[in-house]
Order: sequence, then structure tokens, then C-alpha cells
Amino acid sequence: MINTHSNHSASAIINARKLGKAVPTSEGTLHILASVDLIIKRGESIAIVGESGSGKSTLLSLLAGLDTPSSGSVEIDGRDLNRLNEDGRALLRNELVGFVFQSFQLLPGLTALENVMLPLELSGVADAEQSARALLQRVGLAQRLQHTPRQLSGGEQQRVALARAFVSRPAILFADEPTGNLDRKTGAKVIDLLFELNQEQQTTLILVTHDMSLAARCQRTIRLEAGSIV
Amino acid sequence: MTRFRLSLKLLWRDARSGELTLLALALLIAVGGTTSISLFADRLQRTMNLQAAEFLAGDLVLAGPAPVDPQWLAKADEYALSGSQTVEFPSMLLENGEMQLASIKAVSETYPLRGRLKTRDAELQDEVVSSRGPAAGEAWIDKRLLPALKLKLNDTLTVGEKVLKVTRVISYEPDKRGDFYSFSPRVMMHLDDLAATGAVQPGSRVHYAYQFRGSENALADFKAWLQPNLNPSQKILDIHRDRPELGSALQRAERYLGLSSVVVTLIAGVAIAMATRRYSERHFNATALLRCLGCTQAEIVRLYAAQFLVLGLIVSAAGCALGWLAQYGLFRLLKNLLPETLANPGGLAIVYGLGTGLVILWGFALPPLLRLQAVPPLRVLRRELEPLPSSGWLVYGLAAAVVAALIWRYTDDPKLTGAIIGTGLLVLLIFGLAIHTILQLSRRLLPRLGLHWRFGLRGLLRDSRAGVGQILAFAITLTAMALSFSVRSHLLDDWRRQLPDRAPNHFAINILPSSLADFQTDLQREQIPDSRFYPVVRGRLVAINGEAVQGRVSKDSQGEAATQRELSLTWSDRFPEDNQITDGAAWQADRPGQVSVEKKLADNLGIRPGDQLAFTVGNAQLAATVVNLRSVQWDTMRPNFYMIFSPGTLAGFPATYMTSFYLTEAQKTVLPPLLKKYPAVTVLEVDQILQQFRTILAQLTAAINLILYFALAAGFSVLFGAVYSTLDQRIYEGALLRTLGARRRLLRIAHLIEFGVLGLAAGLLATLAAESILYALYTRVMQIDYQVHVYLWLTLPAAGVAGVTLAGYWGVRDVVRQAPLRVLRR
Repeated sequence: MINTHSNHSASAIINARKLGKAVPTSEGTLHILASVDLIIKRGESIAIVGESGSGKSTLLSLLAGLDTPSSGSVEIDGRDLNRLNEDGRALLRNELVGFVFQSFQLLPGLTALENVMLPLELSGVADAEQSARALLQRVGLAQRLQHTPRQLSGGEQQRVALARAFVSRPAILFADEPTGNLDRKTGAKVIDLLFELNQEQQTTLILVTHDMSLAARCQRTIRLEAGSIV
Repeated sequence: MTRFRLSLKLLWRDARSGELTLLALALLIAVGGTTSISLFADRLQRTMNLQAAEFLAGDLVLAGPAPVDPQWLAKADEYALSGSQTVEFPSMLLENGEMQLASIKAVSETYPLRGRLKTRDAELQDEVVSSRGPAAGEAWIDKRLLPALKLKLNDTLTVGEKVLKVTRVISYEPDKRGDFYSFSPRVMMHLDDLAATGAVQPGSRVHYAYQFRGSENALADFKAWLQPNLNPSQKILDIHRDRPELGSALQRAERYLGLSSVVVTLIAGVAIAMATRRYSERHFNATALLRCLGCTQAEIVRLYAAQFLVLGLIVSAAGCALGWLAQYGLFRLLKNLLPETLANPGGLAIVYGLGTGLVILWGFALPPLLRLQAVPPLRVLRRELEPLPSSGWLVYGLAAAVVAALIWRYTDDPKLTGAIIGTGLLVLLIFGLAIHTILQLSRRLLPRLGLHWRFGLRGLLRDSRAGVGQILAFAITLTAMALSFSVRSHLLDDWRRQLPDRAPNHFAINILPSSLADFQTDLQREQIPDSRFYPVVRGRLVAINGEAVQGRVSKDSQGEAATQRELSLTWSDRFPEDNQITDGAAWQADRPGQVSVEKKLADNLGIRPGDQLAFTVGNAQLAATVVNLRSVQWDTMRPNFYMIFSPGTLAGFPATYMTSFYLTEAQKTVLPPLLKKYPAVTVLEVDQILQQFRTILAQLTAAINLILYFALAAGFSVLFGAVYSTLDQRIYEGALLRTLGARRRLLRIAHLIEFGVLGLAAGLLATLAAESILYALYTRVMQIDYQVHVYLWLTLPAAGVAGVTLAGYWGVRDVVRQAPLRVLRR
């Protein structure tokens, strides 16, 4: 039985303790997340499900260091996010983390190729263009390198976003409703691609979704209700 | 009606959420600025005209050698004009065995209509300001008459056959004519005593003047009625005609204020355009939803147009109120400089303000607003779908039309308007294209640049159309500010040059040749610098190329005035410093028989180099060949001449000498002994007139400086606002880059590079545009020499970089502070 905390920590890539997020509103403090404990192992794929407003996206943003918690802590790869400043967290994201968003979040002025090159350029990789081309080819967009997001369909845009997420070979991939803006068929293709790439790169996957069939493809599912894991 | 209510509801919601703040602020600046300037200019102009009217002792003067038809005065009554009358004539006075030629002025009860008289008692103390002339039976006299006629106050003085009691010494008379050659000491008396003097007989030299005062419209109507009834010897004087140096100073100040108004409008217009662009971009989603819910394109336009109409009316009204307050503030600031009686602010300026507000709003906001009707309903599903940008022709054409209309209204000068708009548009078009091309080319350079530069420049190149638009917008703002500054500097320099601090304030005339050398020595001993001594021979121009000169003059012209009296002719081997040859050959001082003619008179009489001129001097005839034409600065307070002959031409004719010099208040004590030593010499003190002129220029200068600061402040605040309106995209990208792991330092440097390059490009473009417009203005409109403005090349790019970088950096500082998710979620 592997149950000691230290063992967990050794293989854990994300360790969240007593994580809470509250925002002040005109009708008093609103607790979006309350005291969430969560350990995610290296290479694990985990789905976070729950109703709208249950705190899924907030949990994801705290785990990824995109937002700061009101209470509790998050460790990524043994580094406590609370002890890092915004730049430290940015550096950590650049090293370890990739993202796929529901609304794609591609830069409209850049071509597909340039969008994918971005994370590599930020970390100063020399052959950014080569790697980006290779990955765009891998997601089936070799013919669309010079197209801007406006000239791409939704599915194509999300495939560019996938390529951008995987191009820096991140240890962890955060995906926030990646098929939310796509039709079922296109969504399925994108998800297949996501799991394939995840498999290839042995990435830890944290997937926020309300699609139970999608959640079932992950190794573990946690359900949030009113800001707590149930 | 329900739609209108929906418009109001949406407007209210936008206002509460702060969506309209920038737009409303820009409009407020535009309307507040133009209203305050136009109120201020209007009020200042009328105040200045009031003060300038002092020089005439009325708003309008009808002058001539004979009394006018009483019907004319009845007509003035019909126009509800108040009137006064003066009669001036020379008379020889004889008292206590002394003789003195004096200039008598009989004034009516209501004189002066404008301005005040100042008088003193015998000890020349206790100056009293009064708005009436002497009572019947009394005389006020020039202080020079006291010693000259051995008079004391309360003595009697006989003018013609009328005995008057001398009650005051007159020290200031608002409408004293600066006719130096007929200058003799003043005796002022009541008009009712005039008949009793018996001095005015048929054939005597008498100057009748009728002053009128009233509303501008009534004056204009009366003047229009008078004009066709005048005979050739009668003249209408108003401030713009009769005091040209003052008139032109006023006119130029008015023009400057008008230009400032256009500048503020243009600056605010740019801000409105950019704010509306942001507004419409932020309403794409809402519009797409409305379209989805069944709104037609026309309904969308009506919906937003109604919102903007209401917004325009509310903000314009607030702007007018603000302008009204600002104008009061300006006058308070200038309180010490301005005359005590101020004209009331004109109500019409408020109406203009309101109208201007709506016109500016529509001119600059319509194109970006119209874009909303083209938002595809599919955008509810695909957020990246954007409507096509408005046509460049519509955007710039409409704005140019609005600005042209405003410039035209302020300058009332189609040529000037054409020069400014034409040059501005041409420069913006050419350089806009050039910038576009440079941006496109620099795209290729990107991969070879370092990370910071790559990210910084990419921000600018992301959407090169938007990039060019932003550069143009900032460039227009900077150009407007630069124009305002340059024209103001030019104006003030011009005034300073015209009236340097130590401009001569005394003229000495009638210096006999026999005492010339002594007089010069005396001045030198007292260390009084003179502006050269010129010989003066009185003569009349009678013929040009054998043709009698009367046939060549048009009525009321300068030429007519010059041919009806004797001119001061002089000779010299060189011209006064400020004279410049405009046409013809160089001055050859060693060849007698040559003459140089003042340019405007020459134009008026059709005199060309090579023409033969004939003069009469006394009973003798004189002929000379025109060698060249000269431009003359008449307002320098130095001796100047219509006709300058080559030395030797006037040999044998009786001449006296004249000069002008500057005396400080302390040096004035040298005058009495000097005048005693040279009894023939007359010294004219013009320091009163100079002081009055200087005060007016100081007031105008202060006003213009304030307006400039206002324009500059408006420019910079709008620049800040405009930068802010472009930040949405940058903030979003910054957040995304940080999600992908970009460090704050990278973003900061990239932003600095992006804003710096943007500001630099705008600054350079503004320099080119300002230089080109100034060139067109100077050479085409003002007809003056053009010089490159080195300071523009230094300051404008620097101001562009500093302004845009500061504003941009300030605006995006939050991006690097806030958690990126909050930005992405927005």
C-alpha cells in the first residue's frame, strides 16, 4: 500500500493543499473554492468535472499559476507557487506548462506558424521554426502555416492551439473545455489528437470538462460541487 | 419609440460601465475647448475693439473738410447710434505779447464716445480722468502753451474772437492724430463756443469729425448706407482701417485664436475617432447578438445613432458650460492686463459650441460607428469574425471636410483653408503610404532581430492598417500642437520686432541745416542714440511718365491720399535698415536723378522701375527716374519715406532734417533745454501712443500664450487618452504571452520599443507635416521668407516618443501586474 505522504510527493507533479479562492462582492465574500486538497502524479491524466460555476476553471487557473489563491498552496514539480513572484511563475509556466483554452486564444495578427513558435521564442529555443513546422504537420496543418486565425475554421484553430501547447514538450498540459466551442465531430478529432500527443509526450494532463464521455478517457475524475471536491 | 428607449437604456448602461468615459472626455475637451476659445476670442476681440476704438474716440468716424448733411446724422439716430462731433482747425494765438500756432479742437457735449480724457492742474499733478471735454466758456490746453504764451491756469485765452478761461492742462486725448507735420499744441474747447470764435470761415482749413457708437450690426448697416453717399473728400474711419498697425495686430490675434480653436478641435477629433473605434470594437459582440435576435442593419445604425445623438447633446451642453467657466477663468487670469471695461460674452458662441460639438462628433465618430452595422450575426459563434474596417476615404474624407469647414469659419479665407487642408492631406497621404511600406518591409527584418525587438515591433506590425492609423492619429495631434506653437512664436516675434523695448519714442523735426551738426553733438553728449538724420524736402507728385497723377488714382486709396498732399521727400546714399528692395535695380547713390518708391504706393499708382516721375517743390519742377521699389516697415517708429532720391537730386531745394530717438523717463529732462536752444525744432512725444499699443500687444500676447498652453495641454491629454484607447489588444496579448511564460521584463521592454517606435514615427511624420503646412502658409498666404524650423525637428520626435511611450507604458502597466487569467477572462 502506497499511502505515505512523502511517497505521494515524490511522484507528484502537482500538490495542492487547502486551496481556497474567495472574491469580495457587494453581497459579501463569495467562496469559489474552499479548502481543496489534490495530488496529481507525473504522467497522470485527470478530468475535473462539475456544474457551471462549481469552480472548475478557477481550480485550473490556480493549479497552473495563472491566478493566486486566497488560501492554501500549490506546488508544481516541488516548487511552491506562493513563493514565486509573477515572473517566477511565468518562467515555471514556460518550462513546464502548456495550455489549451476553450476559446483557442490565438493571437489574431500572427500566422499559425508564428503562433506556434511563440512559446519557443519565449524560452529562446534556436530552431523554433523547425519544431513549430513539425508539430503543425503532426496536427495536419502543414498547408496552413501562413494562415492567420481569421482564415482558419474553429477546429483548425484549436489544432493550432494544440500544436502551440505541445511544441515546448511541457510536463503538464492544462486544457479548459477544449471542445466547448467545437461541433461534436470536430471536437472528437481534436480530442483524439490531444490524447495522442499526450501519449507520445507522456504529458500530465489536467482536463476541465462537463462532457462525461470525455472525462471517462482520463485515468481519474474529480467532481467539484460548490467549490469543494466530492 | 421602444427602440429609442432601448437606445437610452443601452447608453445608460454603457455610461455606467465606463465604456463611454473616454469618448465623452474627448468630446468634452473638443466642445469645452472650442467654446471657451471662441467665447474668449469673441469677448477679447470686442474688448480690444472697444479699447482700440479709443484711438478714434468712437467705433466709427466720418471725417471730412466740411460739415455733413444733417440728414446723415438723422440716419444715425434711426440706427440708434449715439454720436459726438469734433471740429479741428489751426489758429494763431496771441497772448501776453507771445505768438503761437495752436491746433484748436472744439468738442461736443458727448465727446469722447470711447476712451477718456486726462487733465492735470497747473503743477501738472493730480491727473483727473474725465469722460467729457471742457464746459462752454472753458479751455483745456497743452502744457507747452503755458510757457509759450506766458499763461497760468485761470487766465483767459482768446481763440479768434472768443475769450475762454484756461481751466486744465490736457495730458491725454484718446484720438490724437499722429500727423507729425501739422503737429502743434492743443487747445480744446466746447463746440458751442465755436461759432463765437469766428475762426471757421469758408476756405479755412478745418477738419470735421463725427464719431458714432452703437451695436456692431447697426454700425455695419450705417456704414453700408453711408459709403455710396460719400463725396471724395469724406472718409469713414474704423479701427481696422485707420490704425493699420493696430488693426493688423488685432486681426492676426483673431486669426490665431481661430487657428487654436481648429487645433483643439482637430486634436479632440482624433481622440473622438479613436475612442469611437474602441467603443465600436467593444460592441461587436453585443451587436452580433442584436443581429442574431433579428435587428436589421438599418436598425443597428438607428440604435447607435440615437445613442450618439443623445450623448452628443448632453456632453456638448456640459462642454459649453465648461467653456463658459473656462473663459471666465481666462479673463480672471488676465485681469491685471485687461482694460477695466470688458465686453460681455456673446451668447452666439454658445450656440456655435453646441453645433460644433455635434458636427465634430459626427464627423469623427460616424465612420467607426457605421462599422457596427456590418458586424456579422455569425460572430455570436465565431468571435474572430470582424466587420471590414470603414473605408479610408470615408474616415479621412469626412474628418477633413469637418476640419476644413471649421478652418473656413474661423479664417473666412478659402485660400488659407485650402493651403492648410491641401498640404496636410497631401503630406499625410504620401507619408502614410511611406510608413505603410516601411512597416511592410520591416516585417522581413523581424526574424533577424533580438527577442525584445521582435516582440516590440511585432506589436506594431500585427495589423499594419491599424498601426498606420495610430501613427497618423498621433501625428495629426502633434502636428496641430506644433502649428499652434510655431504660428504663435512667429506672431510674437513679429510684434517684438515691430516694437522693440527701446523703440524710438520721440521724433525731432524741423531741424535747420545750420543747427544740424550742433543738434547731433548735443544728442551724442547726452548719450541718446538716434535713428539717423534725414533731410526733408516737401514736394508733391504730379505726373507719372508725363501723365497727370490724378487720372491714375482710385477713390479712397492710399494713392489718392498721397497725391492730395505734399510728401516728405528725402535723399540718402543708403536706405533705412528695414527697407528692402522688392523690384528693380540696386541703389546707385552716385548718380543724381534717381528715385526709389515705396512698394505699396507704387502698386497703387501703377509705378514701375524705369518710369519717369515729376514733382513740384514750391514753384519749381523736379524729375527723376524710378530705379527700384522698396518695402517699408511703417510701424518701427523710425523716419520712413515714400520717396527716397539719390544724393544731389534735391540739391538747391530748401530742406530741414528729422530723426527719432529713444528717451527713458529720466532722460526726458534733457528736452526743455534742448528745445530752448533750438526754437525751430519740434519734438513729438509718441510714447503715449507707443505705450497704448504696447499694452494691447501685451494683452494679446498673454491671451495667446494661455490659449497655446491650453491647446498643448489638450493635445497631451488627448494623446494619453488615444493611446489608452488602443490598449485592449495589447493588454490581451500581454496576458496571453504571460500565460505562455513571458517574463514581465520582456513585456515591458517590448512595450517600450513598440510605443517608442510608434511615437518616433508619429513625431517624424508630424515634423514633416508641420514643416510643409508652415511652408505653404508662409510662402503662399503670408508671403514671408520661409526657414526650416530646427527646433521642430528636435522637439516633435522627442515629444512623440516621450508622450506615446509614457502614456502607453502607464496604460499597460496593469497587464504585467495582474494575474493573466483575469485579463483573458474579460
